[in-house]
Amino acid sequence: MVKRVVTGNYAAAHGAKISRAEFVAAYPITPQTFIVEHISEFVNDGEMDCDFVRMESEHSAMSAMVSAAATGVRTFTATASQGLALMHEILFIGAAIRLPLVMPVVNRTVAAPIGIWAEYNDTMPQRDTGWMQVYVEDNQEVLDMVLQAYRIAENRDVLLPMMVNLDAFILSHTVEPVDLYGYEEADKFLPKYEPHVHLLPEDPMAIGTFTPPEYIQELRYQTDAAMEASKKVIGEVNKEFADLFGRDYGGLIEEYRTDDAEVVLVTLGTVTSTARKVVDDLREEGKAVGLVKLRFFRPYPTDELRAIADRVKAVGIYDRSIAFNNGGPSFIEAKSALYGYTIPIVNFLAGIGGRDVFYSDVKLMFETLLEAASKGEAEKDVIWMSTRGVDA
Amino acid sequence: MFEVRFHGRGGQGAVMAAQALASAAFREDKYAVAFPFFGAERRGAPVLAFARVHDTKIYEKTQVYTPDYVVVLDDKLPQLVDVTAGLKEGGMVILNTREQPDEVELPTAVRCGAVDATGVALEVFGQPITNSAILGAFAKATGELSIEAVEQGIRDIFGPRIGEKKAEKNAEAARVAYERTEAGTCKAGKALDASKKWLPDVHDQPMGLATRKTETEAGLVGIGSFCENKTGSWRTFKPEYDADKCIMCQQCWFYCPDAAIKRNDERSLVSWDFDYCKGCGICASVCPVDAIKMERE
Repeated sequence: MVKRVVTGNYAAAHGAKISRAEFVAAYPITPQTFIVEHISEFVNDGEMDCDFVRMESEHSAMSAMVSAAATGVRTFTATASQGLALMHEILFIGAAIRLPLVMPVVNRTVAAPIGIWAEYNDTMPQRDTGWMQVYVEDNQEVLDMVLQAYRIAENRDVLLPMMVNLDAFILSHTVEPVDLYGYEEADKFLPKYEPHVHLLPEDPMAIGTFTPPEYIQELRYQTDAAMEASKKVIGEVNKEFADLFGRDYGGLIEEYRTDDAEVVLVTLGTVTSTARKVVDDLREEGKAVGLVKLRFFRPYPTDELRAIADRVKAVGIYDRSIAFNNGGPSFIEAKSALYGYTIPIVNFLAGIGGRDVFYSDVKLMFETLLEAASKGEAEKDVIWMSTRGVDA
Repeated sequence: MFEVRFHGRGGQGAVMAAQALASAAFREDKYAVAFPFFGAERRGAPVLAFARVHDTKIYEKTQVYTPDYVVVLDDKLPQLVDVTAGLKEGGMVILNTREQPDEVELPTAVRCGAVDATGVALEVFGQPITNSAILGAFAKATGELSIEAVEQGIRDIFGPRIGEKKAEKNAEAARVAYERTEAGTCKAGKALDASKKWLPDVHDQPMGLATRKTETEAGLVGIGSFCENKTGSWRTFKPEYDADKCIMCQQCWFYCPDAAIKRNDERSLVSWDFDYCKGCGICASVCPVDAIKMERE
């Protein structure tokens, strides 16, 4: 075991290396660029055996990923923000033809205005492309989820691509201690990729061809069923990883001090860390608060959330982006999952555009939830935190 | 837990210093994080980096607003920015300066560690790069980390980027600075004007931030705001111009990324607008007859 202080970007690149990705399509964009730069160094130094191809745009990079994966190799790329938006068209293709692509996305504001900081308006709009999405909290989780992403994506019951989403700068550019385990440990967890498709002249296949309506509805059903099936696989892979490496992330969600909780806050990404501290302190004061770290946004943990809602009096949903006029995307999903429940469900918008989310912000979220729980209703559904000129 | 804020200029290696400090703390079985100011880097511009060190895992994810220690890599910065801003009660500022701690003037009298890091760096490896030497001063003045751990942290972070030999020289600079660091209390000097920010609320902020030239309490915003934001203060090297050598090709004028070079009326000889010239040296680099030389200010 080699533990070193490294950035989230380095952890992602190391993950690609020890996963033995054989093809990397690279196109730079802040704050992701270091991921593919580190990989180019690995390849140059002979530490990684892969074809590293510099593309002329993200659209081309994702096209190259799809093409390379169709030949039957394990692929890797990374992007952010506008880069992901430019890939949008090809994201559908990778998912629909069932290629287990893996791609970290360093979550960054999509312009305008031009910003380089953390916001989820890049990944959230990709919800319906058929990609799985996991949001991580620290740099160790970045590395561990790149590895797990291949295991989940390549499972024959799943065969869907996955994004591993990490917060711009807060993880991508921050160093912290990470267990940088090597090929040997990774090989025990992640076997050699056995492709289900291959573009080989000696054994030809038709992939992604013109398809009339007779087939498309069934294809969509299969993709939908695969996304549903991925829930079980995510749990199994998490358990196997925990047994091997000693780190249990909980699978679809992680519950933190939710036993006997009267209210829970559902978070995504790095805000989870701040919320852990707030929960610890409020528990000290005897307040029955708990935390749910929503790890996967697709597949969405509907059953897990309903099981929690069964035993609490109010649920808060944190969002780092806005689906205009209807709260944040995570809020909309939660309301849909919790259809039929009469407990207050409150949406907290904070950290948009990369603004720091402070301890005091998260504390206010919990206080608002406790008040809603005691009254049985919330004053407002959607609350803009620390927004100048807007009452929280 | 202790929190550190680094003040430097883009290109001086403040981020590497913060990372080396984190690696040093990790070598002493601490948990440590380090990160740059979440923003765009600009060579020569005042920049910040941060570090946190704790006995157990760190869950704080915001930038550092109330540091225990402030480390200043550039000796001119304390005249431009209030390096004591937000400093915790009893906190300490570690400065690159030729002055003794009690000769140093900061906006408030605070504990102060002082070393001529530029002098040490020039002596040990011949370049005025202070990000390693200042870490030796940090170890000595604060006592938070051993000098051995700091040297190792420098090898960890500098090694992969600049090679082991140069990293070793940087570790040596830290050791030399460690031995020369003096600690004391600085003098309270003149207060710097706190920089104001334009922060309109949702009713006043222009739609889509399409902003006309507007006078605000924080100064001019929108088009023309750089009338007040004199970016020439970022400069550490200044172009020296030899009119006798100049062949009036105007390449410097063409290439200047800040439009800080002016052609004079007769459209021949050039001059510099030092309110905006950041000292990048592109003019000197493109000049075909070496009529422009970059000199340290």
